[in-house]
Amino acid sequence: MSPAADGLAPDGWLLEITESGDGRSVVLWTKERRSGRVHRAAVPYRPPFLVAGARADLADLARRLTGRADVASTEPVVRRPSPFDRRARTMLAVTPAHHRLRRRLAGTIDALGGYERFALFDVDLAVPQLYHLHHGLYPFAPVVARDGGLVATEPVATIDYAPPPLVVARLEVRLTGMRPGGLPPPDGRIGSVRLGGVTLEGPEDDLLRALAGELARSDPDLLLTDGGDAFDLPWLYRRARAVGLAPEEFVLGREPAPFGPSRPARSFASYGRVLHRDATFPLPGRFHVDRENSFLFDDAAVAGLVDAARLARLSLQTVVRQSPGTCFTAMEMAEALASGVHVPWKKNRPETFRRGDHLVRSDRGGVIFLPPVGVHDRIDEFDFANLYPHLMVRRNLSAETLDCRCCPASPLRAPGLGYRSCERTVGLIPRTLGPLLARRLAYKARLRRPGLAPDVRASLEHRVRMLKWILVTAFGYQGYRNARFGRIECHEAINAYARELLATLVAEAERAGYRTVHGIVDSLWLRPSPPDGTVDPEGFARAMSERLDVPLGYEGRYRWIVFLPAVTHGLGVPNRYYGLYASGAFKLRGIGGRRHDTPGVLRRLEAEVLELFRRADGAAGVRALLPRALARTDLVAARLREGGWPLEELVIAHRIGQPPGAFVTFTDSLAAVRQLAEAGVARGAGETVRYVLLDRASRSFRHRVRPAELLRGDERYDPGAYLELLAREAETLLAPFGVERAALLARWGAPARAERDPYRSPERTEQRPLPANF
Amino acid sequence: MGRTAPTYRQALEERMKRWDAFARLLPTPEERAAFELLRTGARRYVAQATYVGSPDLLESIVLSVLTDLAVRLRADGNARPTSR
Repeated sequence: MSPAADGLAPDGWLLEITESGDGRSVVLWTKERRSGRVHRAAVPYRPPFLVAGARADLADLARRLTGRADVASTEPVVRRPSPFDRRARTMLAVTPAHHRLRRRLAGTIDALGGYERFALFDVDLAVPQLYHLHHGLYPFAPVVARDGGLVATEPVATIDYAPPPLVVARLEVRLTGMRPGGLPPPDGRIGSVRLGGVTLEGPEDDLLRALAGELARSDPDLLLTDGGDAFDLPWLYRRARAVGLAPEEFVLGREPAPFGPSRPARSFASYGRVLHRDATFPLPGRFHVDRENSFLFDDAAVAGLVDAARLARLSLQTVVRQSPGTCFTAMEMAEALASGVHVPWKKNRPETFRRGDHLVRSDRGGVIFLPPVGVHDRIDEFDFANLYPHLMVRRNLSAETLDCRCCPASPLRAPGLGYRSCERTVGLIPRTLGPLLARRLAYKARLRRPGLAPDVRASLEHRVRMLKWILVTAFGYQGYRNARFGRIECHEAINAYARELLATLVAEAERAGYRTVHGIVDSLWLRPSPPDGTVDPEGFARAMSERLDVPLGYEGRYRWIVFLPAVTHGLGVPNRYYGLYASGAFKLRGIGGRRHDTPGVLRRLEAEVLELFRRADGAAGVRALLPRALARTDLVAARLREGGWPLEELVIAHRIGQPPGAFVTFTDSLAAVRQLAEAGVARGAGETVRYVLLDRASRSFRHRVRPAELLRGDERYDPGAYLELLAREAETLLAPFGVERAALLARWGAPARAERDPYRSPERTEQRPLPANF
Repeated sequence: MGRTAPTYRQALEERMKRWDAFARLLPTPEERAAFELLRTGARRYVAQATYVGSPDLLESIVLSVLTDLAVRLRADGNARPTSR
């Protein structure tokens, strides 16, 4: 057992709250300020959920629930169910007999009401989340023990707080006979385990016992793994079971837990992509953070995640594995409960019926211009910071504040759509977002203070980035049909206000001596007109922020920026460009280095070309460097053709969008999937396969590619295939200067694959021709 | 967005496909090149057409194409458009 003692720390921090196995209490994990010791205390807590319905139906329900084994108690209460309800009404509070029965019991009640007579509230909030909210607590709160419970000594909104010092240890499992990057043998044994600075080796069952002992001795608060959910923890549990250890003998958390995931692996679709999420292995009382199973860790680090966990009242282990949208939803729920309303279980608010022409008018996104293809200089970039969240707050946009009954004459109307915002009550969304925006600004203000210690700076930066993600998702959740407090009209209104704002800004920019070059939703690229005219970017940003009541930031001046064309029609692509700020920083969008599937050799080419262009201080300078950029490309091509390029720089990553059985055409990734399957590794939809192309023309899955995990190092790659990729990459970067894939391939003596369509738009011929010395 | 009713961009690309058949039967390269000019014009002003939000797709396309041609006409007899 870990040294965690029973009882509450008299003075310290709350680390997290977990559900207790008995189903009728929660476990509070606290860390003592003075000694750093972690305490465990179970306190009885069984929160009810609420059922709304007609008085007679509720009375009938209460009778039918009496005496059921899965019901602890029922009680009529008077509450305001949702933000849409102005008045309180009688509801039935139902307390399940066990935490685990909560959802099932709710489902039974819903069925008893024929899925129409009852509306249920607060069903799917996690029990620890509810405990936090009912007791004014939050994760990582400084607390003192009082009357058998905990009291937070400062409010959750505190900006300058001292989080508990967390003891972090890296955990890494090595299997015997498995080379780095290779596949685990099916009959693998654990050869060594690294925990923090300690490496454990020896016979497997001694080693596992030693690991449990070392964990209990060093007692880390946070285990950091690279792939722990997919590899380290499943293997530890698998081998512990194999050598006959019981969950009580092999404890990775701070109390025994079953040897299994809390949630199995799954594939799901999001924004048109199929994604895969590994099984999750959180540990009771000890945070397990798997960097590879976390979308947020790289951006937010522990400091950002701690901040989000506090505000969302979710465990750090939940925040780290979930999307920022989950945090935002949890924050909305917290705000709802704090203001005395409850969280609907199933959103039962269908879209209102609308005419087709209204739909065409209302269902539109932001303004997105087409940029002029080519290299440009003297360009100033302006961005609205957190435009959508600001609009939601400033225009009071929330599901329940739109077209409210109390303000028929409200002057706040969505441009072109006419949706009114309430003037009397601040909506749930603005109430949730307002403090987040203020918080982000406060952190940014602190970042501007001189003489900041590096660790303080890093922690503030991580918090800013975490908040940014949460704010970004807040908008999307207005349009998502299952979002608890979302409403499509709200989404439409935000877009309408944003379009209006950008249109105003374009006109104002002209008055300030600019011409609009490009614009995307909340950003504008402007050039002084005439080109040598004087402008005052900072002053313009300030004046506009004041006039439009949304902060407009000056991002900086570009020494040069290249807007890239679409291969199909040659016109500019809104979000594909690269440029160099006067500050010396690059901004890259939509080119290879930003994408995860780009092989190293292409990244290298891109980096070299960009480094070369860094010397240019204007558009003419970039054009003058083009021959040298092409010479670099030729050099890479020559080495690739010789066949000696290192294999690890040729690995292509591809996320498979369907289960392997569903493929109908023979593709590179299918060939890789089948080889992996032969080696005993299954890859599901949304998972990534990594491979090197060996012979792209081959119809044999064994000869076509080699998965990265199975590389021996002596394979011969397919030079033609990589020259093709290289030519495509060079075309992407240099197309505005007239560089074309087919011409490059011809020059390298590589056969060009037939193009789909020799179609060339007039736009292409307008792009600059190649220099004479090409 | 773009699920129940197509966005202007989607509707435009759909219509452009229909125009392919028209282009195929144009007999000379000069005519085909001239026709491509129209397509480019139609695509150049998607932002503006979206901003209008007209239920009449053809109105938006016609406005875009005419604007593009007018810009080219103004550019001193040179067929190139002025860059924005």
